[in-house]
Amino acid sequence: MNSLRILVIGGLTTYRALFNWVSPWILVPSLLVMPLAQILLFSYIGRSAGIESDTFFVVGNAVQYSALPCLLGTASTVVGERLQRTLGIVLASPAPRLALVIGRTLPVMLNGLAVSVFGLVAGSVLLGLPVRPATLGLATLAIAVSVFGCTGLGLVSAAVGLRLRDIAVLSTILFGILLLCSGADIPRPALPGWLAAAGDWLPLAHGIAAARSVAAGGGIGGVGGDLAAEALLGLGYGMAGVLMLRLLERRSRSAGALDLT
Amino acid sequence: MSVIEVSRVSRHYHVRSGLRWWRRQEIQAVRDVSFHIDAGETFGLLGPNGAGKTTIIKMLTTLLLPTAGSARVLGFDVASQPGEIRRRVGYVFGGDRGLYDRLSALDNLRYFAELYGVPARAQRQRIAYVLDLVRLAGRERERVEGYSRGMRQRLHIARGLLHDPPVLFLDEPSIGIDPVGARELRATVSALADAGKTIVLTTHYMYEADELCDRIAILRDGSIVAEGSPADLKSRVSEGEVVEAVVHSLPADAIARIQELAGVRSVTVRDLDRAQVLLVQTKPAAQLAAEIAGCLRGTAIQSLSVRAPTLEDAYVELVGGT
Repeated sequence: MNSLRILVIGGLTTYRALFNWVSPWILVPSLLVMPLAQILLFSYIGRSAGIESDTFFVVGNAVQYSALPCLLGTASTVVGERLQRTLGIVLASPAPRLALVIGRTLPVMLNGLAVSVFGLVAGSVLLGLPVRPATLGLATLAIAVSVFGCTGLGLVSAAVGLRLRDIAVLSTILFGILLLCSGADIPRPALPGWLAAAGDWLPLAHGIAAARSVAAGGGIGGVGGDLAAEALLGLGYGMAGVLMLRLLERRSRSAGALDLT
Repeated sequence: MSVIEVSRVSRHYHVRSGLRWWRRQEIQAVRDVSFHIDAGETFGLLGPNGAGKTTIIKMLTTLLLPTAGSARVLGFDVASQPGEIRRRVGYVFGGDRGLYDRLSALDNLRYFAELYGVPARAQRQRIAYVLDLVRLAGRERERVEGYSRGMRQRLHIARGLLHDPPVLFLDEPSIGIDPVGARELRATVSALADAGKTIVLTTHYMYEADELCDRIAILRDGSIVAEGSPADLKSRVSEGEVVEAVVHSLPADAIARIQELAGVRSVTVRDLDRAQVLLVQTKPAAQLAAEIAGCLRGTAIQSLSVRAPTLEDAYVELVGGT
């Protein structure tokens, strides 16, 4: 019961306490205006260059933009403890560590999902694309799985950031790599082989492919493989992130690896 | 009965220096320290910055492992039973660290109540109790970022008491607090001691240790150089007297001349903004004021007085005397 409360109440509390963007003045321009700007930018580039459809860019960029709140939000709620100098107090508590970490990712995933669905709907409306409820439902499922994948990577980045302290730079670099490798704006067959291969092992590429397939009228049966691959990647990165955080805590006790003052 | 037993504990760190990251240096933060603390006792750890006070607290609160020796809190080993200890001790930082500024005091306390496993049904009552105890009732819905340092510090103590721990570690709780806030804080700590809590307190302030602590260990360079009650420690220097002079531009050779005087036990110089305070501890009946004034000839002397030693003098002699 205590683990469940830490998961839900603790997760929400740390999200409010540590994610700097939980303020209308930052959240609206960063997570609502900016994704729309990215969607419109690439859609108009696509139109003027005569490549791909508006749907290609709307879906790709709407799903890809969830990476920003997922990467930065997850890292902020973990690394923020160090910056706020609350890490020592949290680690001195007997709270179950898995609940403590996973709880922080729940509001992050909801945020990422909301940003992507908003981008998808608002981008479609602005570009005159149809929004069908059945398609939107399946696309939301694909987005949810993509958000899970990104949040897993966010946990790895949080563990690295806990040592390096600078999470904004790390998250921005990862955001750029995902923009390039995920096929959000460049059809993956057009990418050099090594970049496409990197995309296969990073979150989003499979999720974007599934969302595009759904937007094109495909059913859930046709995207099961992509969704499973995306979910497995998220699980793998998430487990790696949790293990890295556990290792860091142990190293902190034995070697003073974390500054807990 | 001992609540805390520390036996020959040491702790060293490796730090990397320079651009070549493989240049490692070993820092000995705590060296072969032993002490015990009985139930209900208030025990002070005193020492200058870097003496090892916080490192000892971190080891006792299970945040750091000793590199040698052993320590037990409430019978549990700090190395192998951290979970048992964490459930039973409260850890309170000093200064601005350790609270979520963007949240209200109430939300901070609710969150930490969850972390420390306070049952949901008991939380409201417990939070109201600790807020009342630290005199923050009525201000709990305000964001912590608007709190004064004194209020923050009292909120820290409230947080540390949420799970009603029998042992409380207070790491420099009065640092940066104004005199009124510090007095209120001492009253709170004193009330906790009266309620039977075992308290481990680190502080730089002698009057605080003198007022609150039953026993004190003075640390220098990671080692305990003296241990006893405040009265015991004072008695070590009480048989002499202290000549205190406030001077300007004190030459180094004057210090050397004073050190050579017969009957001088220690000489300490403390820098102020525009002056220096010279403290000379002398043996009984030495009556060296005139000779010390003679050694300071040519130096602008603002004041020179002779007084009985205090706990601070004992401390200065133990950690900084030359």
